[in-house]
Amino acid sequence: MKYKKVLSSKGMVTFVWVLGLVIVWELFAYYIEGTKRTPENILPHIYQIIGSIFSTKPVSSGQTAIQLVMSNAGATLFRAGIGFLIGMTGGFLLALLMNLSGIVEKIAFPYLMIIQMIPILGMAPIVLAITKDIGVSRMVIAAILTFYPVSTNTLAGFKSVEKEKHDLMHICAANPFQIYTKTLIPSCIPYFFTGLKISAPMAITASILVDTLQGDGGLGVMLSQSLKHAMSIYVFWQIVIFSAAIGILSFYMMGVIEKIFLPHKRSRSNGKKVEE
Amino acid sequence: MEAGNVFTLVQKKKRVKARGKINSVVSFLYPVAFGALLIILWQTEILHKIIGTDTFTLPLPSRIFAIIGENFPKVITNVQATVIVALCGLLLGSLFGYFVAIIATVFPKWGAGGLNIVSAFNAVPIVALAPVITNWTKDVSSDANTRSMFAKALVVMVVCTASMSVNAFRGLTEMTPFSEDLMKTYAAGRFETFVKLRLPNSIPYVFTALRVSVPASVISALVSEYFAEYIIGVGRQIRENIVLAQYATAWAYITVACFIGIVMYAILMVVEGVLLKNRR
Repeated sequence: MKYKKVLSSKGMVTFVWVLGLVIVWELFAYYIEGTKRTPENILPHIYQIIGSIFSTKPVSSGQTAIQLVMSNAGATLFRAGIGFLIGMTGGFLLALLMNLSGIVEKIAFPYLMIIQMIPILGMAPIVLAITKDIGVSRMVIAAILTFYPVSTNTLAGFKSVEKEKHDLMHICAANPFQIYTKTLIPSCIPYFFTGLKISAPMAITASILVDTLQGDGGLGVMLSQSLKHAMSIYVFWQIVIFSAAIGILSFYMMGVIEKIFLPHKRSRSNGKKVEE
Repeated sequence: MEAGNVFTLVQKKKRVKARGKINSVVSFLYPVAFGALLIILWQTEILHKIIGTDTFTLPLPSRIFAIIGENFPKVITNVQATVIVALCGLLLGSLFGYFVAIIATVFPKWGAGGLNIVSAFNAVPIVALAPVITNWTKDVSSDANTRSMFAKALVVMVVCTASMSVNAFRGLTEMTPFSEDLMKTYAAGRFETFVKLRLPNSIPYVFTALRVSVPASVISALVSEYFAEYIIGVGRQIRENIVLAQYATAWAYITVACFIGIVMYAILMVVEGVLLKNRR
């Protein structure tokens, strides 16, 4: 009985899926190995990538592959993180302003919609040209990308508060400040985190992409150099795996932080209330 | 109810309607006024002083539009390349995503786990994905353009699959209460339930997914062009022109890219309005 429970648990299902993916990857890797002269460029075996992580062979300027990836990841992620924080704060404040003042909402909301349709990532080179500093432009792009999912979702959260709650606060003679701190802000938090979950991987993607535009250290630079065979191709594969993992982790991390902020477990999925 | 009362009611309704009209006009005017103000600030170079840049890196709007006009044939070829990639990827990704959702509906327990994996793909940076896929599609065709097109469309497809599969799965499984029981009462089989209940129920969810994936398809098409072998497409032109310090031309292509995004979104809205007219 217990054995069956383990088998049908959620973690087990995911594990089997991951295992399936690994098997498919390996099968393809074997096939590629038989047909191509340089299989590691197309699809190396997973164990080869893992092996390259632990190998002590220096690939560039005396650093091993993993040291190289990690030191550059620091630069990229740090700036992505700062941009993410700026965008998060800005997005939240704008949503607050939009909810406080109808005029601001009327002005800003259409533009929020339009920003969503504009390929911001395509504007990365221009931001770089204006700010003339790769670090600043990483932050700017990450901030813009974080900004709009957070503000639209937070605004939806403010709007989702039932009329009865507003009435109750009115009856209790609460002033606007109390209304915000006691009902509106707590109830928009799940929505706010939905926005964060969308934008965290985006901020990281943006940061890596900006890296590829100009050499100054960072994951993107290493990625393009490795692709041009300036160093071992395994650096590229490590970055692929690493950035995928970081992207997925950043998504789950937001979920964890949300749980810390909302200890009373309201089972909500994607900011939608689920009937219990 | 007396006649007088009815009359006032009608009047009230009219007044409310009129106020609604005025409101909608005002709410349309505010953003337009703001946009006009921005463009005026930009054209008069006040904006440049605020950001601290010059007309070389941030050319005036008039200049940008002049460049689009001058290079119109070239712009069109690049737009075609980008739009084809975005649309092919969007179509393939959405179909595949819906297919995944159907599989997940038929096998709910394992399907949900599979969907988690698919949505995890959404968190993988496109930047890492594009070069890998470019490497994989080296043997697809001897023509570099076709090869690149295929690779770019695949990148877009991966991005669009995730949002579609998750949303479509919700559309196929979250029913109005008792509707499934009703189908059972009518002795409908699983297949019939699927065609007559689940499929129509999922249509609004499909559009929810498309609202995310249409802009995403344009963005990922632009980014995948950065890594493609063959130099074509709006995104690639932005990059190439920046490298050559042709900022005005780059801005022209950025404007075009925004235009593509907005037009595609507008088309989606129109289609949605027509199809879901009776469902609101």
